[in-house]
Amino acid sequence: MSGLIGTILPLVILILGAFGVYLAARILRLSNRVEALLTAAIIGAAFTTLVSLGNNLNGKLPIFGVFESGGIQYQVDVAGNFIVAISFFIGILITLYSGEYLSRDPRYLLYYPLIMLTLAGLLGIFYTTDLFNLFLLVELISVTASALIAFRYHRETSVKAGFKYLIMSSLGTMIMLFGIYFTFQGADTTDISEISMKVNTFSRIGAGCFLVGFSIKAGITPFHTWVPEVYSGAPSAISAFLAGVISKSMLFIMSIICINLGLETSELGFYLLILSFLNMFIGSIRALNQKNIRSFLSFSSIAQTGYLMFILGIGFYFEIERAFAAALFLFLVIAITKCLAFLSAGIYEFYFDTGHIDDLQGVYKIMPRTAYFFSLALAGLAGIPLLAGFTGKWLVFTAAISTGDPFAIIGVVIFLINTIIGLGGYLPMVVKQFQSLGNEFENSDYPQELPKLSIWMSLPVGILSILVVGIGLLPSPWLNIVNRVVEWIIWL
Amino acid sequence: MNFKEVLLSGITILPLIGVVILLLWRKATKNQAAIIGIISEGCALIIPIILLATLRSGETIRFSLAWIPNMNISFTLHLDWLALVFLMTEVLVTLVAMIYSLGEKTGEKNSNHYYALLLLFSLGMSGTTLADDAFLFYIFWELMLIASVLLILVWGYGEDRFRVALKYFIVTHIGSLFVLICLITLFVNFGTASITEIATLASALPLQTQTLLTIFFILGFCVKMAIFPLHIWLPDAHTVAPMPVTIILAAAMLSMGTYGILRFPINFFSLDIIQPFAVWLMVAGLISEIYGALMALAEKDIKRIIAYSSVSQMGYILFGIGSLTEQGMVGSIMHVVYHAIVKALLFMVVGIIIATTKERQIEKLSGLGKVLPVTTVCAAIGALGISGMPPLGIFNSEWMIFAGGFGSGYSPILTILTLIGSLFTVVYALRFFGKIFLGKLGAGIEPKASPKALLVPTLAVTIFLIIEGLLPAPLLSWAINGLAVVFGGSS
Repeated sequence: MSGLIGTILPLVILILGAFGVYLAARILRLSNRVEALLTAAIIGAAFTTLVSLGNNLNGKLPIFGVFESGGIQYQVDVAGNFIVAISFFIGILITLYSGEYLSRDPRYLLYYPLIMLTLAGLLGIFYTTDLFNLFLLVELISVTASALIAFRYHRETSVKAGFKYLIMSSLGTMIMLFGIYFTFQGADTTDISEISMKVNTFSRIGAGCFLVGFSIKAGITPFHTWVPEVYSGAPSAISAFLAGVISKSMLFIMSIICINLGLETSELGFYLLILSFLNMFIGSIRALNQKNIRSFLSFSSIAQTGYLMFILGIGFYFEIERAFAAALFLFLVIAITKCLAFLSAGIYEFYFDTGHIDDLQGVYKIMPRTAYFFSLALAGLAGIPLLAGFTGKWLVFTAAISTGDPFAIIGVVIFLINTIIGLGGYLPMVVKQFQSLGNEFENSDYPQELPKLSIWMSLPVGILSILVVGIGLLPSPWLNIVNRVVEWIIWL
Repeated sequence: MNFKEVLLSGITILPLIGVVILLLWRKATKNQAAIIGIISEGCALIIPIILLATLRSGETIRFSLAWIPNMNISFTLHLDWLALVFLMTEVLVTLVAMIYSLGEKTGEKNSNHYYALLLLFSLGMSGTTLADDAFLFYIFWELMLIASVLLILVWGYGEDRFRVALKYFIVTHIGSLFVLICLITLFVNFGTASITEIATLASALPLQTQTLLTIFFILGFCVKMAIFPLHIWLPDAHTVAPMPVTIILAAAMLSMGTYGILRFPINFFSLDIIQPFAVWLMVAGLISEIYGALMALAEKDIKRIIAYSSVSQMGYILFGIGSLTEQGMVGSIMHVVYHAIVKALLFMVVGIIIATTKERQIEKLSGLGKVLPVTTVCAAIGALGISGMPPLGIFNSEWMIFAGGFGSGYSPILTILTLIGSLFTVVYALRFFGKIFLGKLGAGIEPKASPKALLVPTLAVTIFLIIEGLLPAPLLSWAINGLAVVFGGSS
């Protein structure tokens, strides 16, 4: 083994951390909150090393591994670093949130190690240079995520959701395995960079398999059927994690792998563009008739996947640099906003044991801060100006319109139509929370003793709220980062 | 950065400081909150008056701060004659509405939030008129909408307010998205969000693009103007909103659509591009004028009568703009101001009627002239004002709009129809006044005395309406200067 060991330091920290935390919690009988804090600290350490790794790229990408024939290496991926850093950050927040959210659950011991292993898998898939290794890491994410989704095994919906995710996810990885078989047939290697230099029909078939496999994992229509059930059945923190970062990351890794295996950028772009319209329409329209908050957020997440696919599609189809910057920025926006929405919905579930939209009526008077947090998330998702979502929307439209192509312009119109449809879902929910303000509140059936929002929940949700507003008001630093990432990708 | 630039920024910053104070001062009583609101808004009114001298000297005033440098977006404000007319109108209307609020029950709960939102509503409108950056313009444009929606949601009348607020938001937001597409297209083509810069470059765009952008701009702004058939949000929103908010909506916010049409498509593109749309604008204006007037005649709710009258009055404005003549367009700009004053007055009168009688149905109201003499005088002047009777202001603006119509080069039938349509205005105004104030007192109506807090501002607006009508010269010169800005002049 040789290379820069720092390359795999975040990975090592997470994997050792996962086992360490589990053992420590088991032996020392740590409480849920202590385990949550310990996990957040470990993910924080991994996050710091990852960010410093990204900041110290002096003209080359660090690599580490076995360099002999058939050996596996891990190499820093610039876009991956950005995406994974955001995922780690979200990971820290959901871990802290779970410090309270999981307080009624006796099986918390495994929960935190599973989160760390999922994050390790996510980092690994961006860093690995080997297809088979990629397959194993994708499988790792599937298994750990399924376990997290079905974590509340006493609830039928959770078990069903976990099972469904496992089945769909395994189907995806199985198709990827076919892809590896075909690619190996044609290139006689599983090393991604080697394959990219001898692209042939087999590797292109392999690329097609990966395209389908990752489409299942990203929830691209028509493979989106698992999304509503899984996001509604999983613990809220896990739904936030999956909807905010994990499933959206799959779009990026899918693009990287497929291009390396020989798919033309125009082909990939076309695929993403066409299916993005389906995702937008299915997500926005189906969201309108949902009765459950998390089902609603799940469908809106399908629409958001569509938005991200659209801008990535524009980037690949028209080969426009600013579209990739817009896509990375949009990923950041969706990650924080969607996460905020799911975590706020989780607070309502935690305190009122209900996830029904109608039960939100007048909830402002009981939990005003949560009502503000949730409203901010919904307004952010709707793309209301001065919030992060609007800046994301502006960047997407700017990039698409700059192509000057009628196809892209039609795409923008479809995007806008879906934004309007989306408003029909987001706004009533915002309004519902405040409906009892005024005279009606006096006759409300709500209990007079108001629940106190735990700091474990309000802190991460508060941080996300600040980010939703902050990125909207001052997007420059974030734009500098995404522009730098895109410059790196272009340079490479 | 010189003193004038700092002063200009004060028009947006002072209300914002007012908002912050109000949000922090949770225990503020209604009067205390009102004082903060009125002082902040008063400052925003005084500043443009101070800056008038600079404008008269032929200068325009600019304030610029870098905001999102990597997107070429800045916080740039710009005051010229066109902005001045609209800015003064909306700030004055908001100030009147704030004072009027003191006599209303609205805002007694959560007063600090109520006045903060009124300030934000006004800030949205001021910012819209002053913004010299496309991104900033859109932010202020939407702020105006969000603040007004929240005001309706929280302080509106009845349970129906939730449905109405949603409808209002969604319909007007769709209009805003048309505007957004245009702004982004221009931004992408020229790499700058500066409205002044875009205005000098826009005519270099391909003709098809210019035509398409003109259509989108007009559609987007006509939604805000509530031109038939894009008016569907207006009657409900005006009816359900608390009276001070209705006053701002009708008297000030509607005119933002007019400002948008003048500032963007007409200012940006050559007359050759606009000309093909002129006749359609006139037709749309005519239909809106007649439709609004007929609906006002058919309505039974007194608030809805005045609400539909706005649809009709916006028709006149669009007709004048469509004429593309100097007289017609100057008339439209003047009509914005006169309409604002008359509409504020009429809604204030309606507010007094509702407050004193608790009744909104015109059928049940009659004979109030004997018990509410001062209100009756105000209502009479308002009704005459909206009918376009000389020497009240609307007579001047309508005269110019009709003259512009005849001089437009299109068939005079359009203008003759508009003139005939104006008779409907007279009819609904007389019906409004006659039914409510003349005859015997309606059965079951026991009006209380008009609250002084409502009566004093109403009287003040009535006097202002008369003065404005008698002394049209200053406004006329402002409007002429404003139009010069639209056609590329600096003063």
